Amino acid sequence: MSTATTSNSPGKWVVLPHYAFAALAFVALSILLLFSTDAFGGHYFHPKLLTLTHVAVLGWATMLIFGALYQLLPVVLECRLYSERLAIASFVLLATGTISLSYAFWTFQVGWVMHLAACALFLSFLLFSINVTQTARKAPAWTIDADFIVTSSFWLLATGSVGLLMALNFTMAFLPADHLHYLQLHAHIGMAGWFLLLIMGVGAKLIPMFLLAHPESTRKLSRAYYLINAGLVLFVFDHLFFQTGLLFLYAILVVAGVVFFLLYLHDAYKTRQRQDLDLGMQQTFVALVLLLLPLVLLMIVSSRAALPQNLLSIIYLVYGISVFLGFVSALILGQTFKTLPFIVWMHAYENHVGRYKTPLPKDMYRHAWLRWQNISYLLGYVLLVAGVLLQVQALILAGAIGFLVTSLLYTANVYLMLLHKVKNLKPFSYGNANA
Amino acid sequence: METQTPDLGHEVFETLKYIIDPEIGINIVDLGLVYKVSLENGVLSVELTLTTPGCPMSNTIVTAVEQILQQRFPAMQVQVELVWSPPWTTDMISEEGERQLNGM
Repeated sequence: MSTATTSNSPGKWVVLPHYAFAALAFVALSILLLFSTDAFGGHYFHPKLLTLTHVAVLGWATMLIFGALYQLLPVVLECRLYSERLAIASFVLLATGTISLSYAFWTFQVGWVMHLAACALFLSFLLFSINVTQTARKAPAWTIDADFIVTSSFWLLATGSVGLLMALNFTMAFLPADHLHYLQLHAHIGMAGWFLLLIMGVGAKLIPMFLLAHPESTRKLSRAYYLINAGLVLFVFDHLFFQTGLLFLYAILVVAGVVFFLLYLHDAYKTRQRQDLDLGMQQTFVALVLLLLPLVLLMIVSSRAALPQNLLSIIYLVYGISVFLGFVSALILGQTFKTLPFIVWMHAYENHVGRYKTPLPKDMYRHAWLRWQNISYLLGYVLLVAGVLLQVQALILAGAIGFLVTSLLYTANVYLMLLHKVKNLKPFSYGNANA
Repeated sequence: METQTPDLGHEVFETLKYIIDPEIGINIVDLGLVYKVSLENGVLSVELTLTTPGCPMSNTIVTAVEQILQQRFPAMQVQVELVWSPPWTTDMISEEGERQLNGM
């Protein structure tokens, strides 16, 4: 029998501050949404929408993904994180960069505050990318999951580079084309290159693990990886140098990649040993269903169909909402409760297990709050999308209220776990263990 | 599951049923994670595995097994080894484990 190593988990101060910050960013995002209902009537290049987008993608989604990944990377790659110091430095830079960039967008100050914010974010992504790559180099076996994760960190760095250039270009105007040209590049490599690839890499490992399923082949995952990256690389070169009008073809490659990923998860779902899905996994499957909307919208926006400008602007807005407030947020709202309780539990009870009866991770948060969180989220999301599609401000406001309720319930549960204290542990009294 | 001393083995397995896998909520014996228990020269050895390699709970589960056995069998030296071969599959779950897994 081969001998294994023990836990590779990093210290709690590497991981938990990310969850604490992300929860507050989600509340801030919901409050800002409440005050931005008037911004959904026109073009997406609007100070309020730029603020909302960056709070959502940086403070909420990227922050939480960074934290979760420092915990999950050792699980996926089966080795220790390369550097905890780099992770903490990256957190500080991401937090300060997000706050200052959001302030700069909201007040539309395109000077030094925005430049410094963009520099801090780029540096944060660089440190993160180094940490991920160096960790992967130590992995005992290179897997397709590692391909997804390492490549996604490079796309994040590319997204940050384009963002930094755009921030500097606001005052220095050195880029040859207009801002919207680069914004499309920035947005798509961020969405498909960073979020999609990363979520797929981690999801391909975690979702079967939580379902107690062991898919036999990773061929579908490999196809997903190559199709999405081919689509992205072709899109980047075409967009920068050729502009051939083949956008639809690249979109098909990306969509086909996502379909292969979903088929892989379907295989896992069919062979799952666990029949009962807890609230965290239910929300995860809701997120996977919500992924279908941005895929359809991607095909529409890339087809360059001769749609009226007003309708096209609305479709672009719904496209962005369906990615960040739809798929990505739904997934985080579910997966937080599949990761955070275990991280907190492990640090709180590691020295007590086997000596005392300890609560289980699922006992560390309120299930009723989580149930209402999932309901208010879905309601808020549907109302917001309907409001933007129909251009009805009252519906957008109702959607924003739904998101605010969701964020408060989510944050209450997250802080309940983060502030958990060990108390009143009782020793085992041996009898019938299964009783 | 394999033991060298049947009576002691039974007692060890019964004790290990108090260790619950934190994610699945089922004890590690019924999950089929305990591969071997043996006693040699006063050393109680346990070989166990996890549902997936690199599991973040590995340290916690190993510590739990060490601590509960040390407490239950204070006269023995306890040695816990984490092994990956043969890899764990869901076929190793006991009938009782399956019953609990499906909430019956």
